[in-house]
Amino acid sequence: MKKMAASNVLIVGMQGLGVEIAKNIVLAGVKSVTIFDTAPVTVQDLSSQFFLRKEDIGKTRAEATVGRLAELNAYVPVRNLGGSPGQEISVDLIKGFQAIVLCGVPWSKQVEINNWTHENGVFFIAAETRGLFGSVFTDFGPKFVCVDPTGEQPLSGMIVSVEQSSEGLVTCLDETRHGLEDGDYVTFNEVQGMEELNGCEPRKISVKGPYTFTIGDTTNFSSYKAGGNFTQVKMPKTIEFKSLQESLKSPEFFITDFAKFDRPAALHAGFPALSEFQAQNGRLPRPRNAEDAAKVVALAKKLDADADEKIVTELAYQATGDIAPMAAVLGGFVAQEALKACSSKFHPMVQHMYFDSLESLPTELPTEADCQPIGSRYDGQIAVFGKNFQEKIANHRQFLVGSGAIGCEMLKNWSMMGVASGPQGDIQVTDLDTIEKSNLNRQFLFRAKDLGKFKAEVAAAAVADMNPDLKGKIHSRQDAVGPDTEDVYSAEFFNNLDGVTNALDNVKARLYMDQRCVFYRKPLTDSGTLGTKGNVQVVIPHVTESYGASQDPPEKETPSCTVKNFPHAIQHTIEWSRENFNDLFVKPIQAVNAYLSEPNYLENTLQYSGQQLEQTEQILSFLVTNKPLTFEECIVWARLRFEEKYANEIKQLLFSLPKDAVTSSGQPFWSPPKRAPEPLVFNSSDPLHLGYIIAAANLHAFNYGLRGETDPAVFRKVADSVIVPEFTPKSGVKIQVNENEPVQNQAAAGGVDDLAELTAKLPSPASLAGYRLNPVEFEKDDDTNHHIDFITAASNLRATNYTIPVADRHTTKQIAGKIIPAIATTTSLVTGLSCLELYKIIDGKTKIEDYKNGFVNIALPFFGFSEPIAAAKHKYNDTEWTLWDRFEFENDPTLKDIIDWFKNTHKLEITMVSQGVSMLWSSFVPKKKSEERLPMKFSKLVETVSKKPIPPHMKHLITEVMVSDENDEDVEVPYIVVHI
Amino acid sequence: MALAPATMRRLMREITQLKSSPPEGIRVQTSEDNMLDLTGIIEGPEGTPYAGGYFKVKFNITEEFPTAPPKCRFITKIFHPNVSGAGEICVNTLKKDWKPTYGIEHILVTVKCLLIYPNPESALDEEAGKLLLEDYNSYCSRAKLITSVHATPRTRPVEFDTPSAGTAESSPSTSSSSSTSPSPAKQPQQLSIPRSKPVSSAAPAVPTPLKSSENDGAVTVAAGKEKDGRHMSPAPAPLGTADSNVASLVVPPAAAPGDKNAMPKAVTGKRAATGAASSGAEKRKKALKRL
Repeated sequence: MKKMAASNVLIVGMQGLGVEIAKNIVLAGVKSVTIFDTAPVTVQDLSSQFFLRKEDIGKTRAEATVGRLAELNAYVPVRNLGGSPGQEISVDLIKGFQAIVLCGVPWSKQVEINNWTHENGVFFIAAETRGLFGSVFTDFGPKFVCVDPTGEQPLSGMIVSVEQSSEGLVTCLDETRHGLEDGDYVTFNEVQGMEELNGCEPRKISVKGPYTFTIGDTTNFSSYKAGGNFTQVKMPKTIEFKSLQESLKSPEFFITDFAKFDRPAALHAGFPALSEFQAQNGRLPRPRNAEDAAKVVALAKKLDADADEKIVTELAYQATGDIAPMAAVLGGFVAQEALKACSSKFHPMVQHMYFDSLESLPTELPTEADCQPIGSRYDGQIAVFGKNFQEKIANHRQFLVGSGAIGCEMLKNWSMMGVASGPQGDIQVTDLDTIEKSNLNRQFLFRAKDLGKFKAEVAAAAVADMNPDLKGKIHSRQDAVGPDTEDVYSAEFFNNLDGVTNALDNVKARLYMDQRCVFYRKPLTDSGTLGTKGNVQVVIPHVTESYGASQDPPEKETPSCTVKNFPHAIQHTIEWSRENFNDLFVKPIQAVNAYLSEPNYLENTLQYSGQQLEQTEQILSFLVTNKPLTFEECIVWARLRFEEKYANEIKQLLFSLPKDAVTSSGQPFWSPPKRAPEPLVFNSSDPLHLGYIIAAANLHAFNYGLRGETDPAVFRKVADSVIVPEFTPKSGVKIQVNENEPVQNQAAAGGVDDLAELTAKLPSPASLAGYRLNPVEFEKDDDTNHHIDFITAASNLRATNYTIPVADRHTTKQIAGKIIPAIATTTSLVTGLSCLELYKIIDGKTKIEDYKNGFVNIALPFFGFSEPIAAAKHKYNDTEWTLWDRFEFENDPTLKDIIDWFKNTHKLEITMVSQGVSMLWSSFVPKKKSEERLPMKFSKLVETVSKKPIPPHMKHLITEVMVSDENDEDVEVPYIVVHI
Repeated sequence: MALAPATMRRLMREITQLKSSPPEGIRVQTSEDNMLDLTGIIEGPEGTPYAGGYFKVKFNITEEFPTAPPKCRFITKIFHPNVSGAGEICVNTLKKDWKPTYGIEHILVTVKCLLIYPNPESALDEEAGKLLLEDYNSYCSRAKLITSVHATPRTRPVEFDTPSAGTAESSPSTSSSSSTSPSPAKQPQQLSIPRSKPVSSAAPAVPTPLKSSENDGAVTVAAGKEKDGRHMSPAPAPLGTADSNVASLVVPPAAAPGDKNAMPKAVTGKRAATGAASSGAEKRKKALKRL
């Protein structure tokens, strides 16, 4: 990262692709970005260059762009290299830059520049897009050292044995997979016995099995006793790049889609041929012009006699095409490649990438006449898709769910494409969030002046500014999608849409939108990113399966006893401290408030919790006995919590399970992965200890609306004066009990009496009318609220108990907030792919093979595409059906009507009926109840069972039934829609 | 929010199954207005200090079910090494070993197994863990005390009036400790409907001898399959308790003519506590023999 901060990047060519690359690099942060483009802005540039406006026509592209780029990141200076109008880039202009990115520069020029950079240790990338085709070439020099090829966390794990042999076989604990690969390097720590391994120089391994690997000769080492961890050490990798000139003859291709394995070779001839055509004719081939295309094919054949004519022809047809989604795909990818060069992090692409999305062309291809430029900002897109299709795009109606990182990029692409610019067109966008500081470096439509405003509103205004055709066409909302807003996102709302695009950050909302789209039979495009990984999935009514049909397995949770008693990694102590945060500052406060505000809370709610006594005690403690009146008392409280959590509870655990305890099989109880803890002794001059007191006392004070304090001296003084009660571990478990006759015992059985006594001590809610405590709402992004401070301190104290290496505030925050930072490059690429699918949806394609689900990891890098999975077919009797089918009943029938209809029409016996989460009827309800319900109107039945009125906006009820056929076999049938 | 249709259908199927042919010693309570509000009742297995008790396990089914396991905890107080004071349960099945094919029944059977084979090595309640390791008798007494105080109702929960799968009538052997005599279960109607599919996919964890009865259609099928000598699936691995460094246990195969892929992989391990078995382990073995 240090290298990145020292890198000056030059980007040549400021059309759609160049500006996309520049935007992503500026957002990521390098020392400086310089742009060069001396050509005047034309109306055609507006097809994909989102930082140009109509007013800029006539200025040079670089001049018009530089200011808007500079706004994106205050830490990255953006300069215009200048140059006289029409001046070409040349070797003498590029000196002093560490990385050069050329966009759309003629191939002869690329070779000239590259020859110099290859010799002079400057990183070189050349990229261009032509319609639905793209090309990228990288040359980071003959000896490029990549320090971290994957960007993944180094693997580590606990080990249980190391052989003292020439092979040095290592076995992992508890059959845990090590995940290493041959040739990886590892080092060790905490090994007992063979201590030579601790902190050893990285040793190269060979994988012997999923749980074993060898590390080479260990014969001269001491013999292994116990314990230890291995940790992967990432070794630098040297990559040899060829120069462009050399690479033209013997290229190395990076494949993006194995279904198109023969295209790179064709395009490797096609792109230089196009450049040659331009040099000879002073212009690019005309859109879909056969004569020009034939010339390009002939030029390509000279370079490669086997070049696929069809592909080269199509490339020539689209040569003047300039479309925003392609700029986004390549712009995200190339920006990451430039960042790889500057940082040595992640594996660079080697060495030529050719990408195309020919499937995005309309099924009915446009004619030559249809593709002629008309002097509009959409000419770049018309050249590829034709005017007729441009009209379809303009009149399209999409609903964008989410206006965060993905949402911003999506809107930018749509505005360049002219989605909804026509009379029927419409974009609905919703996001309940407002703009926070941490959004600014990746959600590029937001500026510091927008802080606190609604995301959807600001984003809509920003892109309508980019393309004024969208003014008044984008409708922003703040209502989150969900069951509560179905009056807003009603049947009418959905019926007015052509499709839905998800730009969400959570699975729950995705699943909900998926259900809605299935119900209303609307196409859905979903995209997501996770660091350098991204994916796009399309869901097409009656064609593909739904989003919810295949879910990624959720992250495996840590077993609760590991978190509670046996942590052995910092993740466990962070999880514990996150829970502790809730237990101290959220839950008891909520309980107190519930007691004060909900009538008969103790009787009604707590009674079923199984925790009545504890909860009542807690309410009493927070509301009466331990309620602080001054900030000093909060410090005392914090000091006592320290004692309780990091001394007493540990002592109690060690009392119950002493360090020399053995298991039933005679093994030491505290053997790995368990780590025996050690109680802490409070020391106010230890910054970690004091940090805990400061954070805890302030949060406690917040609960009670007391003013906080930050002067460490105050805390030190008070904390040191606290008289801490002596702790003796409980041994109250040895109770004499008669085998047959249970004895009433205070600890175990006195519950009921205690409860009455406790309850009597509580002031009645009426006596405290209006009084409430303030529960803390966890907010990771505010650095002054002590939340992350507390979680860091609490986690690190506990880590110290268990001799687990502590983690700094930043790492703790990332783990606690489950944050994998979104990066602009991946987002840009993924939204580009999503829009390439949108062309197909607008075209109304119905063949499953026309669509592509995409998966990328730009760290490796990796591209993968697959045909969506077809909707699964089910069958009842002789009828085949998919998730897109359903039964519909009109006019609010009775339950009996429905049951009879199935019996009479399909010979199917209904055994259970449910609506929402209510079980309306089943074959095992008592006869009386059944007789009562069968004749009920369906809406009445639902209201009766759910005990809730049906909201007035609900015009239909989605109902599930279980049925069996004539042979009494359970069969699956579609769901039922009952119109009421 | 409402769950996905497929999830809802699956839940309906599971509830029907659990209601009409519940596994030995396990029943569920449902509420009509919210199918997601599901409570399991586990009868304390005979021969354990939990005998005579009925333990409620509350489920919280989320929209990620069954991809993610449901959250569940004891709402009846219990003294058990793997159950915390707040009722949290430390079992791998509910965490890292979860598979979407598992269901509510699998969890309940697993938890029931946990009552028979507590695992002190992954203690959530370290006091119970310590006692179990050091002094089996005290552990037993303490657990019995808590059972008698917190988990023993005056009358057996009505849910147990429905016979278990594979039991002809509500067998007296399952309720010997209960103060009330088992009410002569009214044979619920649906059970008398002959079914072509084996109804009993339930795998009672406790190897209670199966009583087949000629007059009950459902059970006859199950018993018939058994006679065919078809391979039976074993009960769920009981002790997938987390952090376990004890080898997995063998649960005696129970009657489970399995048609259900929800059953977990066969358990092949041997009880680890063989050679160096402490007196506590011996006791436990004895207790198990009595089952």
